[in-house]
Amino acid sequence: MIKDITLGQYFPMDSLIHKLDPRAKLFFTVAFIVIVFACNNFVSLFFCFIVSALIIASSKIPLKTVTKGLKPIILIVVITSVLQISYVKTGVVLIDVWKIQITSGGILTALFMALRISLLIVTSTMLTYTTSPTALTNGLDRVFAPFNKIGIDFHTVTMIMTIALRFIPTLIEEVDKIMSAQKSRGANFEQGSLIKRAKALIPLFIPLLFNSIRRAYELANAMTCRCYNGGKGKTTMNALKYSSKDYLATVFSFAVIGIVILLNIYCGEYNAEFTFNSAI
Amino acid sequence: MSHLETQNLTYVYGAGTPFKITALDNVNINIEKGEFVAIIGHTGSGKSTLVQHLNGLLKPTNGEILLDGESIHKSKSTLFDARFKVGLCFQYPEYQLFESTVYKDIAFGPYNMGLTVAEIDERVRSAAKYVGIPDEMLSKSPFDLSGGEKRRVAIAGVISMEPEILILDEPTSGLDPRGREQILELIKNYREKTGKTVIIVSHSMDDVARFATKVIVMNESNVEKIGTVDEIFENSSRLREIGLSVPQITDVFIKLREKGYPVSEKVYTVEQGYLELKKLFEGRGIS
Repeated sequence: MIKDITLGQYFPMDSLIHKLDPRAKLFFTVAFIVIVFACNNFVSLFFCFIVSALIIASSKIPLKTVTKGLKPIILIVVITSVLQISYVKTGVVLIDVWKIQITSGGILTALFMALRISLLIVTSTMLTYTTSPTALTNGLDRVFAPFNKIGIDFHTVTMIMTIALRFIPTLIEEVDKIMSAQKSRGANFEQGSLIKRAKALIPLFIPLLFNSIRRAYELANAMTCRCYNGGKGKTTMNALKYSSKDYLATVFSFAVIGIVILLNIYCGEYNAEFTFNSAI
Repeated sequence: MSHLETQNLTYVYGAGTPFKITALDNVNINIEKGEFVAIIGHTGSGKSTLVQHLNGLLKPTNGEILLDGESIHKSKSTLFDARFKVGLCFQYPEYQLFESTVYKDIAFGPYNMGLTVAEIDERVRSAAKYVGIPDEMLSKSPFDLSGGEKRRVAIAGVISMEPEILILDEPTSGLDPRGREQILELIKNYREKTGKTVIIVSHSMDDVARFATKVIVMNESNVEKIGTVDEIFENSSRLREIGLSVPQITDVFIKLREKGYPVSEKVYTVEQGYLELKKLFEGRGIS
């Protein structure tokens, strides 16, 4: 039950996308998010859709796993769509019953927003699906390295992230163990009123907190013993290297940005009425 | 009818997913009243999964667990009863202490059983006595105690439920020799005074040889062998094959025999070893 929690959501596979340098993937993801927001017509948005599909296909991750990531945002998409449909009053009136007026503009805007949100979510989950948490924080560490020079200690932040990610499975295991032990002494975590159940968590959280602090001390000692003194002069065993395929990926990212800007200019600003009329 | 028995007990982790692992495969054991059972097996052989079934923490994928002839998963109340009748003390139990005082922590189990204040008080004090926790320690915070003391408090927390069967998963791991000796001694005393059934999971063949009346050997999710100490340690080469060993003193006598000394190989405790050597020396006219 508690082991079902999947955080970090890394999905190991042997694909080109998995092998890319995390910095190249980070850059693409940020660029893609900006560019999806910049899309102002259906043609450029459709182009983004194709790019996204291309990435999913080459990552070799099953489509079912990718769409699973969309589940939590279905509600958000539905609510935005309903709002768009009821507020946008441009274009041809399609349905006019009592106070409800549905226009072609409303439907197209809703469709546009839904596609945009889905693209954003799917593409950003691809980053965590194809990049292991360690690689990701390593990449972040390098990307933000210049900040260290102006006195912002970004290395500590990435180190904290790495440690936090590393200890999630350990903590889940620990919760499981303490729960079993307290259940053996008759503790009941499943029944009773809300207050009763909240109280039942004390025998779980106190040992968990205590053990975490103990573990943090031990980890700090172990790190000190290995001469860890922050980011200064630290080198890594698997140093990230920007190879030709990573440069290619970066060029690809720039190309996507360029094409979307061109499509935005030449296909005109998204206009519900115009799009609908020309579609007919 | 056995006191506690498993029938074709099978447990699969992650059933229905591609990552399924069979932790127990058709395990049949039975335990009689008053026995001192030791469960041995290499890491990952299914020992811990087995003991977590015995008090109903895990629900078998297949098969049944019978306590006094009745399936513990028959209803909610039989399961609730099994939790208290079969007291399970986990490995490193000191990491589960949470209360503000030792007294309150030991009282957690009896409190959950719904006993009266007077009954709880009586049980806490008698459990503390069994594990050798003096009265003045009862008002201390469990977090201020030493490792060995914490362990004993945690064991008292299970004993205070007065279970008919006490299960301890590696009760001596991570303790110094004196701490180990204290824990083993208290378990032995507890069993002698109450006559209750005790099951320990152990990696120490020496401890097993000293105390157990019955040994269950687990290997690769299955029961390899069930028998008395003599029956189990007879075949030292098979035990080594499955990642276990024999008591150190047995090793010594096996080597002595290989060197041509007329001693028995069936020596499992230091006491037996002493008698065997005495016999040897007397035979040669040395005393």
